[in-house]
Amino acid sequence: MPGFAVSHSLHCMNLLALTVLLPLVLGTALCFWSGQRDTRGRRRLTAWLAAGVTAAALAATSWLAPEVFAGRTVLEHAEWMPAIGLNANFRLDGLALLFVWLITGIGLLIILYAAYYLHHDDPAGKFYTQLMLFMAAMLGIALSDNLLLLVVFWELTSVSSFLLVGYWGHKAEARQGARMALTVTGGGGLVLLAGVLVLGQIAGTYDLSAMLHRGAEIQADPRYPLALGLILVGCFTKSAQWPFHFWLPEAMAAPTPVSAYLHSATMVKAGIFLLARLYPVLGGSGLFEGIVATVGLGTMAFAAYVAVFKHDLKGLLAYSTISHLGLVVFLIGLASPLSAVAAMFHILNHATFKCSLFMTAGIIDHETGTRDMRQLGGLMAFMPWTATLAMVAAASMAGVPLVNGFLSKEMFLTEAVGAQSDFAFGVLVPLAATLGAICSVAYSLRFIHDVFFNGPPKDLPNPHPHEPPFFMKAPVGLLVVICIVVGLLPAATFGPLVHVAATAVLGAPPPDYHLAIWHGFNLPLLLSVVALVGGAALYWALQRKFDLHLHHPRGWTGRLLFTRAIDGLFGFAGRVTALLENGSLQRYAALMVGSAIVLGAWPFLTGHGAGLATGGRELLPAPPLAWVVWALLLATGGALVLGHHDRFRAVVLVGVIGLVTSLTFVSLSAPDLALTQLSVEVVSTVLLLMGLALLPAFSPRESSNARRGRDAALALAGGGGIAWLAWLMLTRDHDSISWYFLEQSIPKGGGSNAVNVILVDFRGYDTFGEITVLGIAAVGVLALLDGLRVRRPAADPAGRAWSFAKEPLMLRMAARLVLPLALAVSAYIFWRGHNLPGGGFIAGLVTAVALVLQYMALGQDRADLLLHGRGGQRFTRWIGAGLAIAGLTGVGAFVFGKPFLTSAYGHPTVALLGELPLATAALFDLGVYITVVGATMLMLSVLGAASKEPPRAAGVAS
Amino acid sequence: MSMEFLVATGIGWVTACGIYLLLRGRSFPVVLGLTLIGYAVNVFIFAMGRLWSGAPPILIGGPAVADPLPQALVLTAIVIGFATTGFVIELALRGRHEGGSDHVDGARPGETGDDAEKAQR
Amino acid sequence: MPGDLFSTHLAVLPVLLPAFTAFALLLIGDHGGDAQGSHGHRRLRWARAIGIASAALGLVLAARLALQADHGALEVYRVGDWPAPFGIVLVVDRLSALMLLLSGCVALPVLVYASGGWDAHGRHFHALFQFQLMGLNGAFVTGDLFNLFVFFEVLLIASYVLMLHGQGRERFKAGLHYVVLNLAASALFLIGVALIYALTGTLNFADLALRVPRVEEPEAAVLQAAALILLVVFGFKAALLPLSMWLPATYAASSAPVAALFAIMTKVGVYAILRVHGVVFGADAGASAYAAQPLLLPLALATSVVGVLGALAARTLSRLVAWLTVASVGTVLAAIGLFGSAAWSGALYYMANSTLVIAGLFLLAELVGAQRGEMAGRLEPAARVAQPQLLGLMLLLAAASNAGLPPLPGFIGKLMILEGALGHGWVVAVWIVVLGVGFLTLVGLARAGSILFWNVRADLPACTGGGASPRLLVATLALIGASVAMTVFAAPLQRYTEAAALQLQDRAAYARAVLGEQGGEQADTARPYRIDRPLPSGGER
Repeated sequence: MPGFAVSHSLHCMNLLALTVLLPLVLGTALCFWSGQRDTRGRRRLTAWLAAGVTAAALAATSWLAPEVFAGRTVLEHAEWMPAIGLNANFRLDGLALLFVWLITGIGLLIILYAAYYLHHDDPAGKFYTQLMLFMAAMLGIALSDNLLLLVVFWELTSVSSFLLVGYWGHKAEARQGARMALTVTGGGGLVLLAGVLVLGQIAGTYDLSAMLHRGAEIQADPRYPLALGLILVGCFTKSAQWPFHFWLPEAMAAPTPVSAYLHSATMVKAGIFLLARLYPVLGGSGLFEGIVATVGLGTMAFAAYVAVFKHDLKGLLAYSTISHLGLVVFLIGLASPLSAVAAMFHILNHATFKCSLFMTAGIIDHETGTRDMRQLGGLMAFMPWTATLAMVAAASMAGVPLVNGFLSKEMFLTEAVGAQSDFAFGVLVPLAATLGAICSVAYSLRFIHDVFFNGPPKDLPNPHPHEPPFFMKAPVGLLVVICIVVGLLPAATFGPLVHVAATAVLGAPPPDYHLAIWHGFNLPLLLSVVALVGGAALYWALQRKFDLHLHHPRGWTGRLLFTRAIDGLFGFAGRVTALLENGSLQRYAALMVGSAIVLGAWPFLTGHGAGLATGGRELLPAPPLAWVVWALLLATGGALVLGHHDRFRAVVLVGVIGLVTSLTFVSLSAPDLALTQLSVEVVSTVLLLMGLALLPAFSPRESSNARRGRDAALALAGGGGIAWLAWLMLTRDHDSISWYFLEQSIPKGGGSNAVNVILVDFRGYDTFGEITVLGIAAVGVLALLDGLRVRRPAADPAGRAWSFAKEPLMLRMAARLVLPLALAVSAYIFWRGHNLPGGGFIAGLVTAVALVLQYMALGQDRADLLLHGRGGQRFTRWIGAGLAIAGLTGVGAFVFGKPFLTSAYGHPTVALLGELPLATAALFDLGVYITVVGATMLMLSVLGAASKEPPRAAGVAS
Repeated sequence: MSMEFLVATGIGWVTACGIYLLLRGRSFPVVLGLTLIGYAVNVFIFAMGRLWSGAPPILIGGPAVADPLPQALVLTAIVIGFATTGFVIELALRGRHEGGSDHVDGARPGETGDDAEKAQR
Repeated sequence: MPGDLFSTHLAVLPVLLPAFTAFALLLIGDHGGDAQGSHGHRRLRWARAIGIASAALGLVLAARLALQADHGALEVYRVGDWPAPFGIVLVVDRLSALMLLLSGCVALPVLVYASGGWDAHGRHFHALFQFQLMGLNGAFVTGDLFNLFVFFEVLLIASYVLMLHGQGRERFKAGLHYVVLNLAASALFLIGVALIYALTGTLNFADLALRVPRVEEPEAAVLQAAALILLVVFGFKAALLPLSMWLPATYAASSAPVAALFAIMTKVGVYAILRVHGVVFGADAGASAYAAQPLLLPLALATSVVGVLGALAARTLSRLVAWLTVASVGTVLAAIGLFGSAAWSGALYYMANSTLVIAGLFLLAELVGAQRGEMAGRLEPAARVAQPQLLGLMLLLAAASNAGLPPLPGFIGKLMILEGALGHGWVVAVWIVVLGVGFLTLVGLARAGSILFWNVRADLPACTGGGASPRLLVATLALIGASVAMTVFAAPLQRYTEAAALQLQDRAAYARAVLGEQGGEQADTARPYRIDRPLPSGGER
């Protein structure tokens, strides 16, 4: 990436971007490639590749670690989308370093473990590819210096976890868990995005480095609570805090390495990371402490309690994880600086012991075939090593001295005691903390006792469990060793890392503290003892007094509510859609008409049209004839609406209305329109009749009165509205650009028929499009009726025989006469078009009508041979030719360096014919003519061919 | 009363009839409805150039002529209307022969084309 | 000098190229019903070659135009050499060029896909496809309101036939609805245009931008009515509520390549709304300013919600994608309804991406369905698909982008829209809807994906037909890859869309470029039209 600006750092090799890109690009690509073949060797290779990439990422950041320990922050900035403030800015400070090491370190162990855990028919390539994707996303979160970039990686973890949880997609619970995890965390991510946007608006930047030192100023902004709330929802969903905790146990359907990695060590800590990351910006306020600490503590105690009653090993660990996450959230929520130290420390400790416990659970599952503690038991005898390791890890989880869990638990209790003063019911804080601690001792105890002791196993699916292969135990062992070493020498091991991390969180070095086992006799120590003793007692009581194994968790759970909500959502969506989309054209059409009426009336309803009335234009007097025609129109319309069920009559009535239209045109100085309307009238009536012959002759009366009433109302409203608009316009004078056409049509257009000159010259481009439409329609009809063959009734509904062959003689005579005449007429109309009413279109229709007459006269069978030959190829060619002529005429202008459709003309005088207007426009019009003839003939002939007469009639015809 | 009144009301009336037919349940009346709306709209466009009597835009003789532009637009509109009408007619009957009924929503459950229609009449 | 010729007529070539290709294809003739016959088959192969070559060339043209437009100068082309506003002008600004490029990017892969066999299932597919492109491009480059209508008709009539391509009962039913409603919409279009002419006396966009502000109350009310009637038309094309119900059935019934091509069709409506209601009736339209604003934003948000609910309710993959089309259009129109350059920029970016993704998804839906036995595209457990990795990956990418998951362009586009909404009165509603719709899309697509690829029924035999043919896969990959590429080149694209949005709002510059020296407020392009006094003389041109 270009333009990296490195500040506060001596290094300029974009190591941070590299750290993310390695797994994101190289890792996924390599694993995908290697996973293509699923042999034993390839499986191993894939694991090695993944491990190698991870190690490289680890090395890349470790290279910069000295900078961090020297108290500096490494920044790498690159522009991506500066316009929206989304940039590839990375930062490495203590907090980031802690997480990067956590992600890559644990990652390596997981890869090793998974290599032995995965069954030979689980695709390894898929697993490691997705794992690499997840790791990259996680590293991106840890290293982002740009909040939008962080959100990008945040959602990427949601997606990759969706894929990993759904790794065994054939299992229902895996699909369920994956979708739930994605829904909760992905949805939370969207809320987080909103929060980040608000925060960005407050701070004027999305870059942490420009934001971290401005906490006070930002918290003073009125929008701060909104931003805080939205961001917290994001964090709590990700870190499974109450009330969003329920997805985590469901996600346990994932393969155990995934649970160990995503759902205990890394992903679920992303929320915590963000809380810590933004602590200098958002933290410290009473609001922040109130919400975060409360939610954390509540979750901690609640989840610890639930964990005790889980029979599934991973279920127990899941709730225990939720509980410990709550613990850390609580610590971050607290205002005291030392709590930040404790939080960082516990993040590390929890990762070590919980990860090893998950791996153990995986081993047990792997060996015995079950994770149900009601079946398990007495495994000590079968796998002593595993048992021993598990015991140490569990001890750490319970907070037993000499292991690391004890230390951070101790610090937690100290903080809880210290926090009393900050809260209204301060006493409750240490109380809740201790309760949580007691429960965690209890479930840790149960984990060990129920699995490794507590009698022989009961009907295991795999009755002969034994120690797993060494390399499956090795990661567990390593982590357990860490637990012990850290437990003994905290300051020497995790100490420095915790220090820089806490420094990054607080924005300043924390006050003096020392990580050590012994802090002397004090209240926290007492509470620890109480927790240990109480926990043991609690577990003993539960086992002995009322048999824990018979306990079944109550019905209401977050999971249940969630599934209910989702089902409800889908049901609701179904109902809404069914309601809106009922597949009825009548409703859709009514909606369109209705919307047009409403929107058309809108300006008048909203008062813009106030005082809009009849204008002052001098009106034309209406001659009596006009009144007669008008009355005829009204009558015809009425008759049509009432009697449209008889379709034949309806066609005739529509024809009458068409005639009235052309009368209107001719009487109001539009001869061209009248002619065109008339000729179109003829052809479309023929089409209607031919179509009618293949349709039922009558429309049933099926609309209810209500429906008819609604339609009548719409019709009258629409008609009234359009009439009103027309009236408003007709009674006002208008401005127009038309003066130009009148001035120029003779000198520059070379024609005295302004309308025609506009058509073929001023706006010839419209005509070009228009005849294209006609051509497409005809070809469309051909495509549409392709393969349609129907036997048409020999007689039409009124009993008239359809066979035109019935009166062949007269008709043929007529046709013979008409055809040449019509051709002459069309030629005449064509030529005069430029100066007088007429033109290519009308001429074309006249020709077509004559040909149709011919077609009728010949009887269809022969006409088909003549016209419809070779699947309509002939007429499609006519259309193509006509369009091409028109188009080429336009392109001809290119030769003279003029734009498309530029016309030229002359008036050569030819003997006999006199002066001829030879405009290129005429050539263009010729294209129009040919297209029209071709299109019309194609439409008619295809329709005719689709409807063969019964053979008898055809016989007569010949 | 004036020519303008007759034209305006005429447009309105034809539009109304067209809309009513457009909203019917069978394809054929729908096609007729569209045709009517087409007529009305064409006259409407034409009328937007206002009404002129005895002044066709043929530039021979007096300079006083009707506004030619709307007329040209109407011609284009007529042709396009012709093309689409031709298409929709044939679509209607093709649909009927595929769907067994000429109802615009295809054959309703329990309705098999024309027999049902006859029954309803 | 052909190069010179090329550059002089650049603006009209996107229309002429497909037009003449189509004419040629008509003259050659098609397979005449028997694609199997050696004669017919040869013709078909020719048609494929010509069509694909032409589409590729068109894509190059569009790219060239976009590069040119990015310099900020408007490409103005006076058809017939008549001065604006009297003749018809073609204007290519950044927006037009973007639309051309977009339709080119969709058309080429889709045509390649269709040549994988669909084109043999009916008559004259390739000619009609080219006509469709001609109509689309013509609508995008024209600078004249009535000419926009004409090219709307070209692209519509072509779309009617393409939609019915392959025939079958469902198609004819859905097709009848589609055609009838569109014819009604065309009538409304004409009414709107006529009213606008009646009040302004002109049809040229640039001239209209100058004349609309001069129409005062109360006549302005009629002008606004015309604008809103046009909103019904364009809204219907774009599937804006309450006129969106036709879309899912139509798109789901169409053959896969046609549905994919139609992904651009709704955007024609969006484009027209942006031109007419965003610019002509936009900020500086005097008494008619923001004619569409009170309705556009709320309706668009509602459309988005209804669309995603439909997607949740869908029972087949293609219907799901069709509903997602509605949802995405709603998002785009909401951004346009914000009437701000930042939001418009976001709208354009998001629209470009969602078009590509949805086109890809339509093709993908068929690929997946083809490998699931008789279950086909139904969202129920079925046999295991033959190519789970490849198809799954493509679905994941497309779905994530559509749901607005980072870092895919859907996320970037929504981010731009969210930021663009800041400071607007409706910001809260916009944020809730955009984010909420993204969330629901995520839920719906996660369900669909987990059913299609995970919930495999072992009892059924796995798909035997092997994988999809390379041609089909390449076409689909190209579309989804193009959308993913929009993330990589996000910054330049964003600069482009931002500049495009700003250019749209600079009406004065547009008018100067189109009307030339006689542009500007005092131009008397439209003069009082009287019959009783001699015609105004002094046509100095």
